[in-house]
Parts: sequence; C-alpha cells; structure tokens
Amino acid sequence: MIEVQSISKHYQHGGKSIAALDNVSLQIASGEIYGIIGRSGAGKSTLIRCLNLLERPDSGHVSLHGEDITRLDERALQQRRQRIGMVFQHFNLLRSRTVAANVRFPLELAGGQSPAQMDARVDELLALVGLQDHKHKRPSQLSGGQKQRVGIARALANHPDLLLCDEATSALDPETTDAILALLADINRQLGLTIVLITHDMRVIRQLCDSVAVLDHGRVVEQGKVLDVFLAPQHAVTQSLLAETGMGQGALQGIWRQRVATPVIKLTFVGEPTLQPVLDKVGREVGLRVNLLSGTLSEIKDTPFGQLLAGVVASDVDVSALPAIFAREGVRCEVL
Amino acid sequence: MLDLDWNLLLEIDWVEIGGATLDTLTMLGVSMLFTVLAGLPLGVLLFISAPGQLRARPRLYAVLSFLVNVLRSLPFVILLIVLMPFTLLLVGTSIGVAGAIVPLVVGAVPFFARLVENVLREVDRGVIEASQSMGARLSHIVFKVLLPESLPGLIGAATVTAVALVGYTAMSGVIGGGGLGDLAIRYGYQRFQTEIMIVTVVLLLALVQGLQSAGDSLVRRCRFD
Ligand SMILES: Nc1ncnc2c1ncn2[C@@H]1O[C@H](COP(=O)(O)OP(=O)(O)O)[C@@H](O)[C@H]1O
Ligand SMILES: [Mg+2]
Repeated sequence: MIEVQSISKHYQHGGKSIAALDNVSLQIASGEIYGIIGRSGAGKSTLIRCLNLLERPDSGHVSLHGEDITRLDERALQQRRQRIGMVFQHFNLLRSRTVAANVRFPLELAGGQSPAQMDARVDELLALVGLQDHKHKRPSQLSGGQKQRVGIARALANHPDLLLCDEATSALDPETTDAILALLADINRQLGLTIVLITHDMRVIRQLCDSVAVLDHGRVVEQGKVLDVFLAPQHAVTQSLLAETGMGQGALQGIWRQRVATPVIKLTFVGEPTLQPVLDKVGREVGLRVNLLSGTLSEIKDTPFGQLLAGVVASDVDVSALPAIFAREGVRCEVL
Repeated sequence: MLDLDWNLLLEIDWVEIGGATLDTLTMLGVSMLFTVLAGLPLGVLLFISAPGQLRARPRLYAVLSFLVNVLRSLPFVILLIVLMPFTLLLVGTSIGVAGAIVPLVVGAVPFFARLVENVLREVDRGVIEASQSMGARLSHIVFKVLLPESLPGLIGAATVTAVALVGYTAMSGVIGGGGLGDLAIRYGYQRFQTEIMIVTVVLLLALVQGLQSAGDSLVRRCRFD
C-alpha cells in the first residue's frame, strides 16, 4: 500500500509562488495499476516525482508499505530508490552504454553482485522485454519502442516493489504504445508489481489501469476505480478528458466482455432519438429483452447524446439483424 | 616579396631546432598531463557546485568562478613573470623548461576547467535524473554518468587546450623556457633570420595539425552511434 498524505509543493515563478501540488492525498493498493491523468501543467510529473522524492514536497508524507520515506536520510533514501523503478517519457538511457550495459547500470549501483550474476540478471531482463537480440546495440540504434523496453528492463533490474511511469508512452506512435502498455500489463500480472503511471491520455487509463486519479491545477479532483470514473465521471475535467478522447461507455466493452456471457450491444443516440423510448419500442416489436450494463446521457454542443451498453438476454430476431432495426429509429447499434 | 636565401637552410643549426622541438614537446606533454589532472576535477567541481546543480554551493561556485576568470584574463606573459617565485618554490627553478611548466599549467587549468564545465552541462538532465531515481550517489553520477557520457566533448576540450598550450609555450622563451616558439622569436623576429622563423612556424603548424587530427579521430572513435 502506498499512501500519499496531503502533500503540497510550491514553485517560485517571478516572485510569485504557484502550487504545483495542493494538498494531494492518494491511497494506492499493492499490486494495482494506478493512473494519474490531467492536462499539461496539472502537476502530474511533480506528483509522481514525489513518490521517489526526486522532488521533495514542501509538506506532507509519502509512505511505501508503511515506511515514511520523507523521513529517510539521503543514504537510506538512495538505498530505497534502488527498489523503486522509474520509466521516463524520453527514455533517459545512457548513450555511452550498450543495451545490456544500460540494464546492468542499476545493478552496478546497488552493488553486492558478481559480474556473472549481473550478466545473468541482464539476460533475464532482456528476455522479459524481448530484446535479447539487441543486447550489444547502442541506444542510438534502437527505435523508440525498443528504447522504452530497455528503460523498463532497467527499471525492473533490482526487483522493485513499485514502478513509476512518467508518460512512458507519450513519445511513441499508437501501435508501439499498445505494445508497451501490453508489456506493462504483463509485468504487473507476472510480478504482481504495483505500477503508478501518469498520462494525459484516457486511452492509456482505459487499457491499463485499475484505479485513476484526475489531477487539475495541483489538486485531485476525482479518484476511484477506473470503471466507476468512466461510467460516472463527476468532475468537469474528467468528463472533458473522456469526451475529447471520444470515449463514452462503449469504451468499456473489453471489461464487460470478460464478465458478461450474452452478446452485448452498444446503442448510440444522438439528437432527437435520445429523448424517445426507442429501446422500449424496439423491444416490443422484436421481443428484445436486455440487461442494461451501463448508460450515459450527455450533450455535445447542445446536441443531446446517449450511450447504452446492454446484454441481449432474449430476442426474436438474430442479434445481427438488430443494427438495421435500430437504424430505422435513428439509433446506431453495434454488436460488440 | 621577402628576399629569402634558402641556402641559409643548409646553415641552420638543425641540432638546435631538434632540441627546441624536444623542449616544446616536453613542455606540452608534461603541462598537458598536469592540466588534465587538475583541470578535470576543477571542471567537475564547477559543474556540480553551480546554482541549481547536483551539489549547488553558490558561494563556493562564485569564488571558484571568479578565480578562474582572473587567471584566464591575465596575459600569459604576465603569468610567467608573476609566478616565478612560486615556481622556484615548487620545482626548485623558475627558468628553463622545468620553470615554464608551472606557469603553463596554471594558465591552462582554468581554461580547461571552464571547457569541462561547459561540456558537462551538455549532459542530458534526464539521464542524471534517471540515475538519481535508481539510487545513484554523487560519485556514481560523476564516474558512471557525467564523465562517460561526455567523453567525446572532454576529448575535444583537451584538444583545444593542447593547441592553446602550444601557443603558450612560444612565450616561455621570456623565462628561458626554450622551444620552437622561442626559437622563432629569437632568430626570426629579433635577428631577422626569416628562414629559421619559417622552419619553426612550419614545425609548430605541423604540431597543431597533428594534435587536432589526433583529437578529432579520437572523438570520432568514441562517439556513441
Ligand atoms: N522545477 C520547476 N520550477 C518551476 N516550476 C515548475 C517546476 N517543475 C514544475 N513546475 C510548474 O509546476 C506545474 C506542474 O508541472 P508538472 O508537474 O510538470 O505538470 P505536468 O507533468 O502535469 O505537465 C507547472 O505549472 C510547472 O510550470
Ligand atoms: Mg509532465
């Protein structure tokens, strides 16, 4: 369990003091993937850097598994940091070292291992991230995704109990992003490793996180299980972040798929049909009975829109015929 | 046109020129060695003590920086003379090749240290931060990150310093330091033996060229791509 207790951090800017973090508290359960999202300048980097004290908060405490790291002296903190991995947006690899030597670097810092032991560990880590064949290359010879794999291998070298990711995929193209997110999910599952990641991209939260905190102007404006926050975003910032990414409820299809055995349909209402009892009408016509899984009603620029996610319990017509039937009522239906 | 009598080349005392070359190489080699030994740590100290850096000590930095500036602003000839008592104390003589090495080092160390400081500033902050996040101590950061990551830049700085030292050695004749530059001044400038001057200048040029291409090829070989 990681506990952030009312930390604040101010920066001086031209004689003015601005609060990068304003009384932030978080509780992160062991083994979960915790996302922190917010717009640029919201204080995300400052917050994640407070978790390994690269940045010291002006006030407040950070405890990792019951140990208050803000009380550690420099030496003890350096020791503790060896078991907190960190992954960076711009990778921050040593140009002067090969891939293998980069991964070996934290092992050298920690000491206490023979060269042979270190080499064995490096091979293990490179296998974990799928870079065995690039062992002797320099970072400059790697693609962005490969560099980030090196960054991840390096972060895992000393068996951390916490992995921090600062916009780990923000410099990568969408496909590479997916691959890196999948790798992080794998690592979380395989090693039971707690991951805290920050991002400005709701898709990252959706794909990866169990819990999420929304940060705005240095404050946590919303936090909870990703599912809850997506189904019922409370704060305007959360809602606009969701809307911008084009994610209504349907985005959660992956999660439902695992839990609901029946076929799932997503109904999207835009404009007038939103205000009509369309589902009820179609239900009577074709004997459709559904189990509502989630729904929202909202507005984009004065146009009402809604989304329903429903499990099909019974239907007189084949599920594949439903889209056409709903289309007649001006409602888009997708079978997920 | 200069009226050159190249027959004079036959009369040139090549032994003297050989000796002068050796003197120059000795002064250069020994002073370069001590310059790196003293200038590299000083450069690192300047870098880490600067405001906002790894071990920010603004007062210490201000003092060091001022001293470096003072030494760099003094014309080398003045340094040669001012340092004579100190040199005598340190090496037992204040003249000749041995006497020249102390002022050469004193002149070159601040120059090299400042170059080192600037080279270290080019090291990506993110990489330093990443090392800190892995629990690196200051010594780790200096020896495993700063110096290796900036090696090409450091070699470049050493090359520039060595070339500057060649220039300084020319002035060491003032205290009887000898060497090629001294020869050029004594024969060429003061006795109008232009031929000797040209020969020495050609040798100096070859030395500078050699240093520069050696430096460049080292930099090329240790670049990280
Ligand atoms: N070292 C610093 N000095 C001054 N201001 C800073 C510093 N680091 C961050 N800030 C300010 O703190 C706020 C939060 O920054 P940051 O945590 O980097 O935001 P994010 O990562 O969410 O984009 C910003 O207004 C930024 O300008
Ligand atoms: Mg940031």
